[in-house]
Amino acid sequence: MSNKIIEGLFYAKSDEWLKIEDGIGTIGISDYAQDQLGDIVYVESIEKGKKLKQGESFTTIESVKAVSDMNAPVSGEIIEVNEKIVDDTSLLNQDPYGEGWIAKIEIDNEDEVKNLMNSKEYSEYRKE
Amino acid sequence: MMKLIFEKSVKGKKGYSLPKDLFDDIKLEECLPEYTIGKDKKDLVEVSEVEVIRHFTKLSKLNYGLDDGFYPLGSCTMKYNPRINEKLASLGNFIYAHPLAPVETVQGCLEIMYNLNKLLCEINAMDMFTMSPAAGAHGELTGNLIMRQYFLKRHEKRFKMLIPDSAHGTNPASASMANFKVIEFKSNENGTVDLKELDRLMDEETVGLMLTNPNTVGLYDEGIEEIEKIIHGKGGLLYYDGANLNASLGIIRPGDTGFDIVHLNLHKTFSTPHGGGGPGAGVIGVKKDLIPYLPTPIVCYDNDKNKYYLKDNGKDSIGMVRSFWSNFAVILKTYAWILSMGPDGLYEASETSIINANYLLTHLKKYYKPAYDRYCGHECTLTGREYKKYGIKTLDISKRIMDYGMHPPTIYFPHFEPYAEETIMIEPTESESKETLDNFIEIMLKISGEAKNNPELLTNAPHNTPIRRTNDMLAVKRPILTYDDELKLKNP
Amino acid sequence: MRYIPNTNEQKEEMLKNIGVSSFEQLIENVPDTVRLKGKLNIPDAMSESELEDHVVNISQKNSDFYSMKPLIGAGSYRHFIPEAVKSLLQREEFWTCYTPYQPELSQGTLQTIFEYQSYISRLTKMEVVVPSIYDGASATAEAALMALRLTHKNKIIISSLLHPHYLETVKTYLTPHESELINLPFINGLTDMEKLKSLLDEDTAAIIIQSPNFFGGIEKLAEISELAHTKKILLISVNVESMSLGILTAPGDNNVDIAVENAQSFGMDLNFGGPYNASLATKKQYIRQLPGRIIGETVDIDGKRAFVMTMRAREQDIRREKATSNICTNHNLNIVAANIFLSLLGTEGVYKTSLLNMKLAHYLEDLLLKSGKFEKVFDYPFYNEFLLKSKTDLSLLKTKLLENNFIPPLSISRFYNHNNLENVLLFAVTEIFNRDSLNKVAKVLSE
Repeated sequence: MSNKIIEGLFYAKSDEWLKIEDGIGTIGISDYAQDQLGDIVYVESIEKGKKLKQGESFTTIESVKAVSDMNAPVSGEIIEVNEKIVDDTSLLNQDPYGEGWIAKIEIDNEDEVKNLMNSKEYSEYRKE
Repeated sequence: MMKLIFEKSVKGKKGYSLPKDLFDDIKLEECLPEYTIGKDKKDLVEVSEVEVIRHFTKLSKLNYGLDDGFYPLGSCTMKYNPRINEKLASLGNFIYAHPLAPVETVQGCLEIMYNLNKLLCEINAMDMFTMSPAAGAHGELTGNLIMRQYFLKRHEKRFKMLIPDSAHGTNPASASMANFKVIEFKSNENGTVDLKELDRLMDEETVGLMLTNPNTVGLYDEGIEEIEKIIHGKGGLLYYDGANLNASLGIIRPGDTGFDIVHLNLHKTFSTPHGGGGPGAGVIGVKKDLIPYLPTPIVCYDNDKNKYYLKDNGKDSIGMVRSFWSNFAVILKTYAWILSMGPDGLYEASETSIINANYLLTHLKKYYKPAYDRYCGHECTLTGREYKKYGIKTLDISKRIMDYGMHPPTIYFPHFEPYAEETIMIEPTESESKETLDNFIEIMLKISGEAKNNPELLTNAPHNTPIRRTNDMLAVKRPILTYDDELKLKNP
Repeated sequence: MRYIPNTNEQKEEMLKNIGVSSFEQLIENVPDTVRLKGKLNIPDAMSESELEDHVVNISQKNSDFYSMKPLIGAGSYRHFIPEAVKSLLQREEFWTCYTPYQPELSQGTLQTIFEYQSYISRLTKMEVVVPSIYDGASATAEAALMALRLTHKNKIIISSLLHPHYLETVKTYLTPHESELINLPFINGLTDMEKLKSLLDEDTAAIIIQSPNFFGGIEKLAEISELAHTKKILLISVNVESMSLGILTAPGDNNVDIAVENAQSFGMDLNFGGPYNASLATKKQYIRQLPGRIIGETVDIDGKRAFVMTMRAREQDIRREKATSNICTNHNLNIVAANIFLSLLGTEGVYKTSLLNMKLAHYLEDLLLKSGKFEKVFDYPFYNEFLLKSKTDLSLLKTKLLENNFIPPLSISRFYNHNNLENVLLFAVTEIFNRDSLNKVAKVLSE
């Protein structure tokens, strides 16, 4: 079972990761999540400009045998969407923390990360 | 590889037959204005009757049917489809009966529906059944709509539906279609309803509970009396998913254990054929209080005139859920089966299926750890977990079973923790002989050995089927859903 | 019992194996308080011959429908079904097998469905087809729900000439959801276009139009779709007589968004109303919102062409409460019947049969008008069903027709209580009739 975890990122219970740089958050799904889903075939289109609350679902990720809702790890507005993953969904499986990033969000309130886990906590949470 | 019918089409070949008089004296353009007429003929195929017979005969041989052998699918109740039922369902007076023909001309059809209602009420301890739902899920939707209507008429605002995590996917999907909020709760470590959880969750905003009993792992829920108290205690309704009724015939009746609504799959317990995916029927039975909400119309009998008739079920009915009255051909086969079995036969069916399932459990549990170590109902749930260390998934085991000429059991269902992914659910039904079961046990034993000593046989299985493992991912990523899609791909 | 192979001795042996002394031990956990006491109060088992006698007896309380020609349609049409269809359907590999979850054992079923999807796609000129709905009524309801999901709007305009059962079913399905159903009146037997224009607004998700409509009239779908699309509204067309696809304009050519096709006419017996089957045909862009089973083509590990259930993430077993629908079955055996039926008829057979049905209906209408005993109600183009007002008492007509082995047409006041629809009948004609039998109908009705 694949379960790579990157330090310095925040993780949500629903297996999304968040990287913060200058008030902008990059969001994706964790290695555990992509492994559970299996070969990902489709990501529902995401609206740029959509305002989200922490925990709110904003897209679905579909594999052959499963579908997963993706939830906003923090509140904010979607400012950028990764176009590459639309055509090549395998990026989500092969490089979930890098090329397989999903969206960038302008964060409302960085304090909300207290509701997320750090890499150590997430590692405990998703221990085999 | 079999050709598609389109690949056999040649212009000029003829498979149809029409009389000589095609009314050439009447002109199309004189009957219809231009906007109504299609631009061109719709291009289908041109093949002869002989080639059609060959094509579909060949296609049929690519299928594994119930008459070919064991079909141990859990919760599907793949039991023998009696031949006499097929004959009766093809009687001319039934198959050519138009649903809107005058009521005095269809007394036979109405009598069948009326009689079946009586039989089902007795078997399930309910007060009335609707024959409208065309399928199991359709019945679930109907049941949910009835429950919604019940509370609407009592001016009670209830919007939540309690569903165990072990439930069949159609349960939450149906509750959603009735616009209920699905509250899924975990089963306890015995695989049955966690009574504390249920009590905590049940309130006056909850419609009730949808329960399969025995549940989807084949276990009879002993807490049923407590469950009834909890749900009814807060004014809720108890809904019975009858997918597993085959464990209960003549033993226990859902209406006697507090259920207000009962859903049945006629194509499971009641022997009507699966048809490769239908048609079946999902009739719904209710207790007296819920009768006003049943779909319209209902079949009644006028004692004075000695006539059956269809009656509108009144203003409180949920309305219609389909066109016309029922999947009549399926209703008829059910009726015939119940009359063939009688009370003794029904009991024997449940008794035998429970013995069959426990027999398999006893012999297989040494090689496939059971999900629950107790006697099972009419189906047993094993797991393939201990083969993981050889790199074997339950999927591989199921594919290898095909090489031995049998249909695999249900895998990956139920999907709930902690047995998600490696479950094998086996329902042998009463139609399977001890000989077949012994054969199956032998095959499973062999495969167990292969898993340890020669795992590639499993991971590359099946080897002996018309096609081998399919690339399901490609099917989704590059959708070819019609022959024209295929052509476009070949000649972009 | 002959359907239960294991003998009592074998069961005893098995119980010993299990390690219990009696069957009762296996059901110990069923509380005594709820166990059935005694036997079920139903008739004792009948032997096969007794059962046959019993049911044949009941069947004789129906009229001898085989030899009766129906002048009634209204969503259920008797067509001639070639014997090859029935013969092939008897192959156990088609009718006893299970849902094709294991494609390696189900290529027969899967390829059959794929071919049928292709047929409906060509007949409707729509890109993608889900052939897996129980009947036209529930399919129309599913289409309405799909439109609500696609547009996020909540109003649906529904033609008053949609089959009354279909209309009732849409109402039932939509009641739990916040939606508004608006009635679209008819004028002269077709959609009132002026009224339609006035009803369209930004909250409208879709318009549902049956064509040919319940009165048999062929609607101006191209005009309606243009109106709809200027306001970003979806057009859902409903066809209860799929044989009409042979000669009429295809939904795709009318720029319909979702086409509902009741497939009963393709190889399915009347069976007192069911089981039937219906398809939803639509544009590729809407595919993820489609309910029901769909089959796709792929390859196996040896590179062989293979068919599988696909786009499964929409369905109930994966998506559960978020599925596009709860639908599980696909009424499969009826799809097999429809495929074989269309394969036999083929391009020419479908076209010629469709044309013949239309001409037969017009021939009868003409005869009946000429008899002087009937008059036209509205003047609209019709396919194989039409309205006529009778100058004679309806119950008298009914008796005469039954006596002469015809199932009478529908008395339209059963469903419509407009003043000018009193004493009006909805006639349907299919190739079950020929010139002679239609002449006879006219004779019987004009005596």
